[in-house]
Amino acid sequence: MVDRLAAELVPLRALALSLLTLAAAITAAVVSPETLLDQEALASGLALIPALLLAHHRRWSVVSTLLGVGLVALTIVHLAPPLFGVSPEVPIPTMFVVAPYIAVVLSAGWLGEVRRYQAELKATQLQLIQSDKLDSIGRMTAGIAHEVKNPLMMILVGTKILSKRLVNADDTTRQILQDMSDAVARADRIIGGLLSYSRDGGLDLEPADLNATIETSLLFVKHELDKVQIAVVKDLDPSIPTLKLDGFKMQQVFINLLMNAIHAIGQDGDIRVSSSVQTLAAGRGVGYRRTDRYVPGERVAVIRIEDSGPGIPEEHLSKLFDPFFTTKPVGRGTGLGLAVCRQIVEMHRGSIEVGNREGRGAQATVILRLEHPEDDYEKATDSARG
Amino acid sequence: MRKRRILLVDDEVAIARALAMYLTENGDCEVCVENAGSAALAAARQFRPDLILLDIVMPDADGGTLAAQMKAEPVLKHTHIVFLTALVSRNATGGGSKTIGGLPFLAKPVDPDAVLEYIDQHVVVRG
Repeated sequence: MVDRLAAELVPLRALALSLLTLAAAITAAVVSPETLLDQEALASGLALIPALLLAHHRRWSVVSTLLGVGLVALTIVHLAPPLFGVSPEVPIPTMFVVAPYIAVVLSAGWLGEVRRYQAELKATQLQLIQSDKLDSIGRMTAGIAHEVKNPLMMILVGTKILSKRLVNADDTTRQILQDMSDAVARADRIIGGLLSYSRDGGLDLEPADLNATIETSLLFVKHELDKVQIAVVKDLDPSIPTLKLDGFKMQQVFINLLMNAIHAIGQDGDIRVSSSVQTLAAGRGVGYRRTDRYVPGERVAVIRIEDSGPGIPEEHLSKLFDPFFTTKPVGRGTGLGLAVCRQIVEMHRGSIEVGNREGRGAQATVILRLEHPEDDYEKATDSARG
Repeated sequence: MRKRRILLVDDEVAIARALAMYLTENGDCEVCVENAGSAALAAARQFRPDLILLDIVMPDADGGTLAAQMKAEPVLKHTHIVFLTALVSRNATGGGSKTIGGLPFLAKPVDPDAVLEYIDQHVVVRG
């Protein structure tokens, strides 16, 4: 709310500034009517208002800068004759009027830039808070997970002993014992998920074929896919070079994303899995600032998993990567899937986004760097671990 | 053929008791249980096991150090040692066979049949 207000206020402030300057111009023209050229200043002052407003849109800041430069040129033209000893055609008051305009135009451009920086800073701060929160949750879950494993082991061994001893048990008893073993296995899987979230291990990087990793992940979910009649359309780019990956962890990412797609579709539908090499153009997160993840012109592998499900409700989009956020029924998901995915991808110095497709369905996009100096990996692993 | 001698070191009394029972009843094993990590080395010297199942995190001893001490003993240096631990997850290892400090491990909760299978694979009793 406050942010929105602040965002609204910036152009208003710029407008107020330009109006003030305009008022100054009018005053100057009224006070010294003999300085006819003040009309020029007046006209340029009027032209400044749209320029100032435009300055607040990134793509128009170039226009406002050009206008500013134009005004500087105008000023020089007005200043030049007296400098070269020619009698001044432009009376001095004009300068007093023109100068503030220039200042305002330039500062307006800066204001826009400052505002963008502020927004980015805020986003980064939020991320930091989030990662701090995740870290303590991670530590806590790791502690709990380890503690729970011993009792689980006891139940498992006990169940096995009973199964062996109750040789003459009826079907129901045997079924119950089997269910107990299955329950332990399920609890173990959940704990495995918690632990892989808790940043226990680093990466085990090896040169890997990304498409093969995707194919293996697809094999793992084949049974699930067949069960609910979901078709997979593959569009894997064979030109993707060998990447340094922790194959097992990256598989975990793809399996998670595929399982999400399967659960979203429910029954009958299709999933499109594609991989490609792309060269990044400047844009969000791609630039030369410290906060930018990639630099323009960088070559990356882009893996996309699109589903024909109902898509993600607007209100859930911001919470998708929060640990323990889940819309799946109790017992179906821990809400750690995407949080783990993001952690793994970021340890690989990549990025992941999940959102809605145009039209229908959701899509997950994983971006992985193709070039990466070795030491950067350690840095990324360290920062991803917190 | 003599029974396979297994030393089970785990401070979790109930787990050790149950697992020992399972291995004894179903796996043709003679199991010696030691719940105190600090007494494990002495127990190993005396029992001369074919295989040692060793917990890592124990209140009075650290399994890693114990394993190193055991390997340094002339009578134990050829004894197969396998960690039995809640420290790692099976899926954290990718299901593959990895090691902790150069020694193999079984991640808790492990199916006792899997322990037996491991013993079958690694312990060959002569005579």
